[in-house]
Amino acid sequence: MLWLQVFVNGLAVGGLYACIAVGFSLVWGVLSVINILHGSLIVLGGYLAFFAHQQWGINPLLFAPVAGAVLFVLGAGVQGLVINHVMARPFLITLLLTFGLNLFLDNSMLALFSADYRKVLLDPPLGVFDLGAIVVPADRIYATVIGLILIGLLALLLRTTQLGRAIIAVRMDRDAAALLGIDVRRTYAIAFGLGAFMAGCAGALLSVIFPISPVASAGYLGKAFVICVLGGLGSIPGAVLGGFALGIIESFGALFLGPEHAMTLAFLLLILLLAVRPSGLLGKRGFA
Amino acid sequence: MKLGIRPLLAGLVLAAAGSTSSFAQDKLLIGAPLPVTGALSPEGTKLKQGYELWQDQVNAAGGIKVGDQQLKVELRYYDYQSATPRAIQLAEKLITDDKVNFLFSPFGSGATKATSAVAEKYGVPMIASSASSVEVFDQGYKNLFGVYTDNSTFSEPIAELVKTKLPDAKRVAILARNDLYPLSLANEFEKSAKKRGLEVVFFEKYAIGTLDHASALTQLRATNPDWIIVTGYINDLITVRKQAADLRISGSVFTLINGPAYQEWIDAVGPLAENVTTASWFHPVVKYQSDDVFGSSAKFVELFKQKYGSEPDFTQASGAAVGVVLQLAIERAGSTDHDKVRTELQKGGFKTFFGPISFAPSGIANSYVPPVLQIQNGKVEVVVPQEIATSEFRTAPQN
Amino acid sequence: MTLRLVLIAAATVLAIFGLAQADAYVIRLATIFGMYATLALSWNIIGGFAGYPSFATAAFFGLGAYITAVGQNAGLPLPVAVALSGAVAALFAGLLGTAILHLRGRYFAIASLVVAEVLRELTNSWTDVTGGGMGINLPLIDGSVIGQAQFYLVAMLSLAAIALAATIWLDRSRLGMALRCIAQNEDAAQIIGVDTRKAKTFGFMLSSLFVGFVGGVYASWVTYIDPTDVYDGALSIKPILMALLGGVGTIFGPLLGAFTYLALEELLWRNLLEFHAGILGLMVVLLVLFLPGGLSEIRGRGLFHLLTRRRQPS
Repeated sequence: MLWLQVFVNGLAVGGLYACIAVGFSLVWGVLSVINILHGSLIVLGGYLAFFAHQQWGINPLLFAPVAGAVLFVLGAGVQGLVINHVMARPFLITLLLTFGLNLFLDNSMLALFSADYRKVLLDPPLGVFDLGAIVVPADRIYATVIGLILIGLLALLLRTTQLGRAIIAVRMDRDAAALLGIDVRRTYAIAFGLGAFMAGCAGALLSVIFPISPVASAGYLGKAFVICVLGGLGSIPGAVLGGFALGIIESFGALFLGPEHAMTLAFLLLILLLAVRPSGLLGKRGFA
Repeated sequence: MKLGIRPLLAGLVLAAAGSTSSFAQDKLLIGAPLPVTGALSPEGTKLKQGYELWQDQVNAAGGIKVGDQQLKVELRYYDYQSATPRAIQLAEKLITDDKVNFLFSPFGSGATKATSAVAEKYGVPMIASSASSVEVFDQGYKNLFGVYTDNSTFSEPIAELVKTKLPDAKRVAILARNDLYPLSLANEFEKSAKKRGLEVVFFEKYAIGTLDHASALTQLRATNPDWIIVTGYINDLITVRKQAADLRISGSVFTLINGPAYQEWIDAVGPLAENVTTASWFHPVVKYQSDDVFGSSAKFVELFKQKYGSEPDFTQASGAAVGVVLQLAIERAGSTDHDKVRTELQKGGFKTFFGPISFAPSGIANSYVPPVLQIQNGKVEVVVPQEIATSEFRTAPQN
Repeated sequence: MTLRLVLIAAATVLAIFGLAQADAYVIRLATIFGMYATLALSWNIIGGFAGYPSFATAAFFGLGAYITAVGQNAGLPLPVAVALSGAVAALFAGLLGTAILHLRGRYFAIASLVVAEVLRELTNSWTDVTGGGMGINLPLIDGSVIGQAQFYLVAMLSLAAIALAATIWLDRSRLGMALRCIAQNEDAAQIIGVDTRKAKTFGFMLSSLFVGFVGGVYASWVTYIDPTDVYDGALSIKPILMALLGGVGTIFGPLLGAFTYLALEELLWRNLLEFHAGILGLMVVLLVLFLPGGLSEIRGRGLFHLLTRRRQPS
């Protein structure tokens, strides 16, 4: 019974991990940008949800797409106005740029919202699903389901729409895409915006579960790295799989090695994976 | 552009180096490394509020009396970015470069312990606002004085409370953040519980930066405890309290330290805060008359509310407490000489708004009883000691 | 030529001892400069010469710091502990290299980024040896206050001087040539007979050797370390920023970059209590956008040709 509960715990947090990582993975895949800003965008999404709940009583789980939309605009703006200027440069340059933006955004949020931890309190609380032998917190299930639906819609958008095809074309060959008449800069802006959209959604979904603070951003970013490497970089299904895998491994790591070593098992596996299959579980081998 | 910016920057750094302030005689310069950014920035903000309230009061009254002179207080802050090694470097910089007269410690036991080595090296007395672990004070240093009493002053009265009010409670589960203060505190709770014949059925640690506590709490639940103790900081304890409810963990007593004494914690967990027990070194209901600039605890609370619009919590109060202790010691010494002030600090017997403060030979305060608190109807109530209790202790948390 | 080198070496020694006579604040800044310069020069070996953008600096730094801390607590004298730090870091880099050096560009970058995360967590949880999140104290060295400061100044600046000497040597050596070939076009390098695998691994090990040394000296200098501080991701990013500021793949560029960056950081941090990180971030953004100086050199030299070949300016 303990095992089953531990497994379910892992699944429940794994869904949240998937939401954290998808936007990062998308930006990586399409723009070749290592987006250091990602963790801060998640936190900003959390604040938007918190204030929307405080001011207008909107449930953050339903507010997630709105928080995402706001961040889409912000993300597309940042890409269009700032990052696009250096897209032709080595990726190190874009990484430093997002590092600088991350310092700025984190410090701005600290100045604006203070570092006090806040959390959205739903009234009435969503409670738990009591399945007799095991219990599952309802908010995590809802957050995971909503997150997965949004991820699914994103995948659908990339596969089936004109815009999605443009994004994939730019991802595969920027110059050829430009020749085909695709506005590359605009496509970059939209793709980065979509990454920010997912970060905003993740932040809003997490706001009912974890405390919100500017100082949490580095933790989310670190998780995103690990999940993406685990699942396969640049791949959306990879990020989802990586999220669930990390959640479950951590959960059992805490059981077998003690809570203090929860991450150890996951990291040892990650090192092993880097050695034998560096492209991640679902990544394309040798894609460089 | 390329040619222009580099000489400019070089010039700027020279200017920065040159702007090092000169030390003037008519003021008392105190160095205070603060965690303004980084993980501890909530606490850094609180400490700074405490420092500044004290500074305002002293300077409004003309300054610190040293013999026939009055010295205005000037605080020199630097941000150590919540990184302990940076705090050490800053303490050294404050002493050697800014030439401060005295030091206030950085936040928390770990950083205080690390920084105390610097204070000792230079013989500069340092007053610690927020260190309570005996491990901080066991190095034989002469220049470290902490206004908090040690961790057993939390675990003992709470364990006694559980023992007397809940004679049936037998099983204790402890989950501790793997960090100096929370772990030291957890060890004290284990001792206090065992001393009273309680059985510690679960004792685990979680790593700093743990996001999710479901697995640890699932294992904790399996041991079926009556009394659950979790140590950590506010973000850990927000998540832990919520996840304990998610997992339907029921125990008769929930003790969470440090977090529930902060209003932010209560706001963040809402109804789940009910009946959680905790402790802190200060609470606005304490009623001390004092010889310091505030005159009494009540006056301090009133002034704090005036300046910041909320009741002071223990961290905010400790920021002002280190100020008044230093001030009283300097005024008694009639000098800012390190040796004389240190001697006065060692003598102790300071009547402050924070409580009567004297230090054990190790430097840790041992002269007052910190209140045990319980959250009732969304408010922090004092349940022990009897003299200042605002409410009766309750059992059975709502889950 | 040899005479010039001797003169440079003599001038360096004189400068170090001259600086040691300055006041405490200048000594501290100069010590940090030595640390930054060594980190930037080290990164330049793998990131500049070989064009492999490593983000593992924090990993080797933290590893070096902990080896010295644990070693000293086990009774090793400081020089031995620091030497061990460098050796272990280099050895670890060699092992790590076999796992990730066949990745290219940003794949290599992110794989190397994860390494510091992994080591931080392992250090955090291996409490018995490392003290975990509580951190670990190091024994103080003997000597007067100013004497200690001078000792660390000389140690850090000497490391920087050695790293610089290594860079100068590398620039003229076969290994350096091989690394530059790899940066230009790795496949072509292979075809003309460069043992790219060996060269990359040596480059990576050489780079991390100095980072390990610096980590060890840093730990002894600050007398207390904890995992959050010594595995800080910023430690991986700052050296890159410095190298880019001064000129990637050049010999003296990283030195200049380290100086400029330190000046900027110190200036902001001293004068802005609440918002220094934000302004620093903004400056980084502006530098990246508007300072093509160091950056244009990269393109000119084509060091990142491999990474940029599919992305021409539109």
